[in-house]
Amino acid sequence: MAAGGTGGRTYSFKVVLLGEGCVGKTSLVLRYCENKFNDKHITTLQASFLTKKLNITGKRVNLAIWDTAGQERFHALGPIYYRDSNGAVLVYDITDEDSFQKVKNWVKELRKMLGNEICLCIVGNKIDLDKDRHVSVEEAESYAESVGAKHYHSSAKLNKGIEELFLDLCKRMMETAQAEERLKGNGASQSASSRRGVQIVDDEPQATPAGGCCSSG
Amino acid sequence: MTSQRRGIHLDQSELLCKKGCGFYGNTGWQGLCSKCWREENQREKQKQIQEDWALAERLQKEEEEAYASRHQKAQSQPTITPFSKFEERKTKEKSSKVNTVTKFFTPSTKTPSKKDAFEAQSSPSPSSSTSRHSSVDSDHATREFIDFLKPLKSGREIFKQCRAFTESMVYKRDMAADELSECVQDFYQNLSDRLHTQFKGSSEHVESVMDEVEKYMMTRLYKEVFCPETTDDEKKDLAIQKRIRALHWVTIEMLCVPVDEEIAEVSDSVVKAITDVIEMDSKCVPKEKLACITLCSKHIFNAIKITKKEAASADDFLPTLIYIVLKANPPRLQSNIQYITRFSNPSRLMTGEDGYYFTNLCCAVAFIEKLDGQSLNLSAEEFELYMSGQASPQRPQSTGAASCSPGSSALGQVHERLDLLAGLGERQEQVMEKARQLESDLIDWSDDVEQKVQSVLESFPPETQNPTATTASGTTPAASSAIDSDNVENEHLPPPLQPQVFAG
Ligand SMILES: Nc1nc2c(ncn2[C@@H]2O[C@H](COP(=O)(O)OP(=O)(O)OP(=O)(O)O)[C@@H](O)[C@H]2O)c(=O)[nH]1
Ligand SMILES: [Mg+2]
Ligand SMILES: [Zn+2]
Repeated sequence: MAAGGTGGRTYSFKVVLLGEGCVGKTSLVLRYCENKFNDKHITTLQASFLTKKLNITGKRVNLAIWDTAGQERFHALGPIYYRDSNGAVLVYDITDEDSFQKVKNWVKELRKMLGNEICLCIVGNKIDLDKDRHVSVEEAESYAESVGAKHYHSSAKLNKGIEELFLDLCKRMMETAQAEERLKGNGASQSASSRRGVQIVDDEPQATPAGGCCSSG
Repeated sequence: MTSQRRGIHLDQSELLCKKGCGFYGNTGWQGLCSKCWREENQREKQKQIQEDWALAERLQKEEEEAYASRHQKAQSQPTITPFSKFEERKTKEKSSKVNTVTKFFTPSTKTPSKKDAFEAQSSPSPSSSTSRHSSVDSDHATREFIDFLKPLKSGREIFKQCRAFTESMVYKRDMAADELSECVQDFYQNLSDRLHTQFKGSSEHVESVMDEVEKYMMTRLYKEVFCPETTDDEKKDLAIQKRIRALHWVTIEMLCVPVDEEIAEVSDSVVKAITDVIEMDSKCVPKEKLACITLCSKHIFNAIKITKKEAASADDFLPTLIYIVLKANPPRLQSNIQYITRFSNPSRLMTGEDGYYFTNLCCAVAFIEKLDGQSLNLSAEEFELYMSGQASPQRPQSTGAASCSPGSSALGQVHERLDLLAGLGERQEQVMEKARQLESDLIDWSDDVEQKVQSVLESFPPETQNPTATTASGTTPAASSAIDSDNVENEHLPPPLQPQVFAG
């Protein structure tokens, strides 16, 4: 993907946050980017697009984290959000079995649309509520492994596991970008759409913002 | 169909093509649409291309002279390999796909009324002044670009390449939009790769050059590649415009928009957000159009933050943006989205903040296109009723003749307004009644006061009226009379009391 560079270049990665409502997506990024949790004294204007600059083994990384609208009525818009993303953080609430099922649906959809180019993280949030756990650790971890994703546990409330998961994700995205860069160096020809991230033509009808097929006009 | 066309003319006639073909006009094309403009100006266009060449030659010469004088003893410059080979390939591919659907679509809607046709004929020929205007614009863009590039080591190379590429694009206007986009994107990509090597990975530096490249190229190419004839962008513009109109009844509650417009600062932000998203159409450069969307989003965040007292998440933002788009009905929405997608610097769209808001705008449009009862928490029947205008959410479903006539949406509105007017009339009556009451109350009151004063005066004889005067006996009479002498109303006062000596 064009977003990731090599050598002395700065890497720019786009990461989408997916998951059912109330699993703690917003809490997770606000904790990560601004170290805040349920902050009454708000100085943050918005928590839907946040960035973080990292330095990983001497390489600069700009992380852009895209919050997505999680409500069911916006589900069909998913592909517009996650196209061209380098990574996805799929969040569920360990006390809510349903939210884990939702994650499975997202994984299917992402793999179908973006293949293996995208690095997936499955995150079981709210481990401070472990006594109400409804998703077993073994089930979640073995599922993640079966789909080539990494599994993490976190608590936005206690600030646990969050730094680790994003750091890990960044390292994996860098590896993916470097592998791609090597391919490029070997003279492997690329399709126009992978040369630059913006896709103009989209054969999945629901993915095009401009798809006029359903408009009454 | 005709009533609907008329509706558009009434509301936004200034946006439509002066030839009355039903498409949108553009001030840059003297109010004509792309199609009519092209027909009107085929010859002018040729002339302008020649002028552009001449200008470019002139600028290049100036530029070369400037370089020659500055770099006389300078070292050899790192060169950028020309793009000519790539150019050839692109040119061969050109004009393979011309969208015939558009060709069928366009003439059918183009039946100007007699009046419109007459106006178009009687108006002075627009060509000469416009061509001068637009070449002034590009001239300006070129100058700014050169000024920006001057301090750069490879500035001249960059300018040469961009100029050559831009000129080659002018001749490719029959090429399909995807291919035009592909050309421009490939050009961006190649140039930025070279710049990366040259600036040794300083991304900010590369980005700043790429911003200027985009600005220069897109200012010059705007009228060629915005809403090109080979696409159905215009058709989509009209479709979404009509769709948004049909959804006029959608309320804040249905969309679950976390914004309370009763708060003055919130409604202020809402108005600003609407203005910003409309403003997008007036910009030429993708970056500037994106800036309008970003500004709009910031105002939305402000409105949410004041209402909810917490930072907006995507679940707050997207519904609000949808609401703003429904309220604004921004002109040429699809054309603008397509143009940005095709010609913006890709890194901005992919990871930048602008890209996030732009993506949300795309989502909002997709949502509006597909929206049904379920997405608004309405039953399918309710949704149908509202869409067909047979009922509106605030009013109970209307009955009788109004509900089955095709114009019932407008009728419904008229009824609503009439109700409002009747209500207003009633209230005005009430206000008048109260005012009359107040008037008579005031008269009664002043009479009352007068009577009371009279009775007080009668029951207290003047001698005993001013008991404090006795205490003043010790003060100097000269001083008090000096003050009194200034008083014009002395005559109306009772005569001054004489000091009395009390025995003992
Ligand atoms: N106990 C506990 N509560 C949490 C944790 N993370 C989030 N919450 C709470 O869960 C609720 C939902 O959190 P959000 O961050 O708004 O969830 P979200 O996924 O962004 O929800 P949507 O924006 O509706 O999609 C809030 O009340 C948080 O305080 C956590 O780690 N532990
Ligand atoms: Mg959220
Ligand atoms: Zn026209």
